[in-house]
Amino acid sequence: MSTETRPENLLSAEVRREIDHWLAKFPSSGRRSAVIPALHAVQDANDGYLTEDLMDAVADYIDMPRTAVYEVATFYTMFDLKPVGRHKVNICTNIACWLMGSDDIVSHCERRLGIGLGETTPDNRITLKIEEECLAACTGGPMMVVDGHYHTHLTPEKVDEILDKLE
Amino acid sequence: MSSAVNEFIRSFFLVELLKGLRLTGRNLFKRKVTIQYPEEKAPQSPRFRGLHALRRYPNGEERCIACKLCEAVCPALAITIESEPREDGQRRTTRYDIDLFKCIYCGFCEESCPVDSIVETRIHEYHMEARGENIITKQALLAIGDKYEQQLARDRAMDAPYR
Amino acid sequence: MNAKVDNATDTVTIEVDGVEIQARKGAMLIEATDNADIHVPRFCYHRKLSIAANCRMCLVDVEKAPKPLPACATPVADGMKVRTRSERALKAQKGVMEFLLINHPLDCPICDQGGECELQDLAMGYGRGVSRFSERKRVVRDENLGPLIATEMTRCIHCTRCVRFLDEVAGQPELGGMGRGEHMTISTYVERGVSSEMSGNIIDLCPVGALTSKPFRFSARAWEMLSHPAVSPHDCTGSNLQIHHLNGRVKRVVPREQEEINECWIADRDRFSYQGLYSGDRLTAPMVKRDGEWHEVDWETALGEAAECLRNTVREHGPDALGALISPSATVEEMYLLGRLVRGLGSRNIDARIRTGDFSDQIARPPFPASGLPLADIDRLDTVLVFGGNPRNDHPIINHRLRKATLNGARIHFVDPCSHDINYPVAGQYPTHPDDMVALLAAVAESLLEGDDAGFPDGLRELIGETPAGGLAGKLAAALAESDNPAILLGPMVEAHPRGAVLRSIAQIIARKARARVAILTDGANTAGAWLAGAVPHREAGGGAVDRPGLDARAMMEQPLRAYLLHALEPEQDCWDAAAARAALEQADSVVVMTTFLGEGMQRYADVLLPVGGFGETSGSFVSVEGRWQSFPGVAPPQGQGRPAWKVLRVLGNLLEVDGFDYHASDEITDEVRGLCGELQVQTEQPWQVPEYLRTQGQGLVRAGTAGIYAGDPLVRRAEALQATPLAREPDVIIGPGLARELELQDGSVAEVRQGDVAARAVVGIREGVAEGVVWMPSGSAAAAGLGPLIGPVTLTRA
Repeated sequence: MSTETRPENLLSAEVRREIDHWLAKFPSSGRRSAVIPALHAVQDANDGYLTEDLMDAVADYIDMPRTAVYEVATFYTMFDLKPVGRHKVNICTNIACWLMGSDDIVSHCERRLGIGLGETTPDNRITLKIEEECLAACTGGPMMVVDGHYHTHLTPEKVDEILDKLE
Repeated sequence: MSSAVNEFIRSFFLVELLKGLRLTGRNLFKRKVTIQYPEEKAPQSPRFRGLHALRRYPNGEERCIACKLCEAVCPALAITIESEPREDGQRRTTRYDIDLFKCIYCGFCEESCPVDSIVETRIHEYHMEARGENIITKQALLAIGDKYEQQLARDRAMDAPYR
Repeated sequence: MNAKVDNATDTVTIEVDGVEIQARKGAMLIEATDNADIHVPRFCYHRKLSIAANCRMCLVDVEKAPKPLPACATPVADGMKVRTRSERALKAQKGVMEFLLINHPLDCPICDQGGECELQDLAMGYGRGVSRFSERKRVVRDENLGPLIATEMTRCIHCTRCVRFLDEVAGQPELGGMGRGEHMTISTYVERGVSSEMSGNIIDLCPVGALTSKPFRFSARAWEMLSHPAVSPHDCTGSNLQIHHLNGRVKRVVPREQEEINECWIADRDRFSYQGLYSGDRLTAPMVKRDGEWHEVDWETALGEAAECLRNTVREHGPDALGALISPSATVEEMYLLGRLVRGLGSRNIDARIRTGDFSDQIARPPFPASGLPLADIDRLDTVLVFGGNPRNDHPIINHRLRKATLNGARIHFVDPCSHDINYPVAGQYPTHPDDMVALLAAVAESLLEGDDAGFPDGLRELIGETPAGGLAGKLAAALAESDNPAILLGPMVEAHPRGAVLRSIAQIIARKARARVAILTDGANTAGAWLAGAVPHREAGGGAVDRPGLDARAMMEQPLRAYLLHALEPEQDCWDAAAARAALEQADSVVVMTTFLGEGMQRYADVLLPVGGFGETSGSFVSVEGRWQSFPGVAPPQGQGRPAWKVLRVLGNLLEVDGFDYHASDEITDEVRGLCGELQVQTEQPWQVPEYLRTQGQGLVRAGTAGIYAGDPLVRRAEALQATPLAREPDVIIGPGLARELELQDGSVAEVRQGDVAARAVVGIREGVAEGVVWMPSGSAAAAGLGPLIGPVTLTRA
């Protein structure tokens, strides 16, 4: 481990405190259970995305194989591994929302923002997340999550309103 | 007793001779089947199994990928292949020899080839003048393939519906 | 260990396909069916790996279960009724197969796995003739996993055997399943490649052609090669191998299952070193030097000249002016014949212990150096002291077993001049200066003997000197004493240590007191065989002592002789004191070298070069460190005009008119040596000898280092792919940060290393964990060639 990738150099005291908070919730044999909250904390502190060095730092900090951290980070769409815009828009495209017309919502967003799924607007304002799976709000489909906030019963007009409010 | 009489009558009246002459007479007026080889040639099937060739794709890339299935299937062990990665990383032969003395022209190699590379052409008139010429190398096989590609492609296309 | 296994209460009875079978309680169904020779198709299941149950190919029909169950993840239960070939089972298996084939490319003709592919085989049994899938297949980008493993990740069926192997067996979780669903790929994510010393095993594990051997790539087909057994020529564990060869060329090496030694794994060194056989500098014809020029000659001339050289030396300078050195990885037969040849000429100087630093206890040692610890028992140790060695580097199979022991809770302590990158949690690594190693071990013995004055051997207390006895020594002593099943592993650093005899003696005292077993891990593949075959100066064939021992390997080089006969080694790389070796050989009147390769050094000092067969090219036997005799056939003819070395020695013996050299086959020689050895038991005990002197206290820096992982013998040094791995590209010299600051050296900078009159330029690496005053420099690298002793004074300056 070179000096640059040591956890204490990459993870701020605040982030480490947050990770420690989660580590304390698990028995010492289950330290790796804290990897998801840890990655969230690190991602939030790094403009919404993770880098290899940061993932390595998390792995070393909670003492689990680096590969296992990469596996977690690549598995979940809530982790981004490339720079993203200031706001993340996740439109559910799973079956319930799809039946309620999420395809239209997606194509409306793409048209309006001029980007495809998985892309970021040139002004770095919005990232449309690719292949978002069920976000557990099927009663309100079609739905989307913007920066952690749920918006249900979407119509193109409602989407416009939400997107316009994003700085 | 009667058989001796019969025998006598048959030989006295030259019945056997007349039977023979009848056959001659019948064929005398039939269309001739003899051909003047080599000036004239008998027709060949598109499935004719003659001398081998290695084919190329239309873009000039050799088809053979060194899978060695022909080598494995050859009942006469006439094919010898060596292979290694080519410079661009593709699987290719560095040696593809067929011993024409061993070959029994069964066509299994052609049958087994997944890329229609090794084929048997319609060529059946060839000879060797020196010891060792019976081994036909990859370069020679490719050259034959290049020369007869049009016909080879036509023959394969003709046979395709039955495969 | 578990004597109750056969007890009726620990087994259950199940019925599989109408046949009643017994199964171990808690076993998975697939284990039971495998033991009963009932085949259940599978991809992800491997009995040495954890159960993933992710391929679903082993679905079987279990009575009363609502759905087919995976045999690999269903524990057996008493009275269970299973049908593996019922309509429901087959339908499930065929369904799984159809899904597996959806994304699998149809490129079997260009796939190296073709013909030995588990997917191909099972697709024949369970697949459909024509795919119903008409959509696009997925394509996965390949990743460069390094010089040993070729990837074709589109073929991957995500069984995760490779992932589990690297995590669970190799201890280096470098591969993982990245992404999810259709986007999942097996990858390192960071593209750093796979660097485990056992990585080649994932090639065998891969059920499809996603991971194949890079050096072997496209060069042969599984069905056309012949397969013959072989034994690892690189280390004393004697890993069982199988050589696949075609038209007289070794094409690849794979493991042969041997549960007591290598299980079903082998080290990359054993798997890929065959490549060295086809390096550019193979010696293909006998050569003699005339007026400083090398000439290719026929065998008759070369052998005649070799015999003449040896005969002249004996005639003019007496038989003791002749010395023979043989590689510790030569076969028993070669060692035996060479020993008889040398002794037949009247000389007593023959040795195979080329990397040994201390011979003073050779008379007192057991008939052959061995491990009093069967390899299979290593798994069950609970405390181990690895003294003077890096098992990961020296004996990867032993390291694997040590790793298994730690997974069972064992605590392993390492004492070596430099700490190593060990792939399991260790109880402690204690970098110790070579000069302090004796004192440390003596202090451990003293701590154990405390209160037992009668048991105190003479001179032990004095050995400890001023080193404080408490601390580390006390800790190690306590660890060993408290353990139920301890062992001491003496590695190659002890072998190379100039005070190795004292270390071995003290280890015995500790072992007796702590009821520990001692494993002396020897150099090369056949050091034990060398002792038994008489290729040591103090023992004759069969292990009996000789009246007047000849010169040992070190003395032969330090007291130059007139003529040398070398077999299968490059002294300037392999000898303990390479500088002395080079000087001795250059001053000699005549040097006859039997070699597989035309080394650089031998072109200068040799007079006759005789090409002999290398790995796989000669029949013979090795005696492993467990005392296991393993014979193997020659599978490929040596390149060019090369001949198996035993045949060369036979003719040489005849030419020199030594009696009894009329063998027709190598097994005649084997039988003869075995007959001489009788039923030799492994012994490790050796009596305490009062050391002649007490302390060595060198001034300044000391070089320490044994052979590098891919540098221990001429064959592996020429294996191109292995040399390109990160393990082989370590810096030549490793020093601690303190010393680096003092010498103003940076990581990666070039320094001049000087031992005596010899200097070399070497790349420096800076690591924590190097004992103070130690310059860690393994032998076998280009930079270390021709330098002085493996353990000895050195100076390091900025170049």
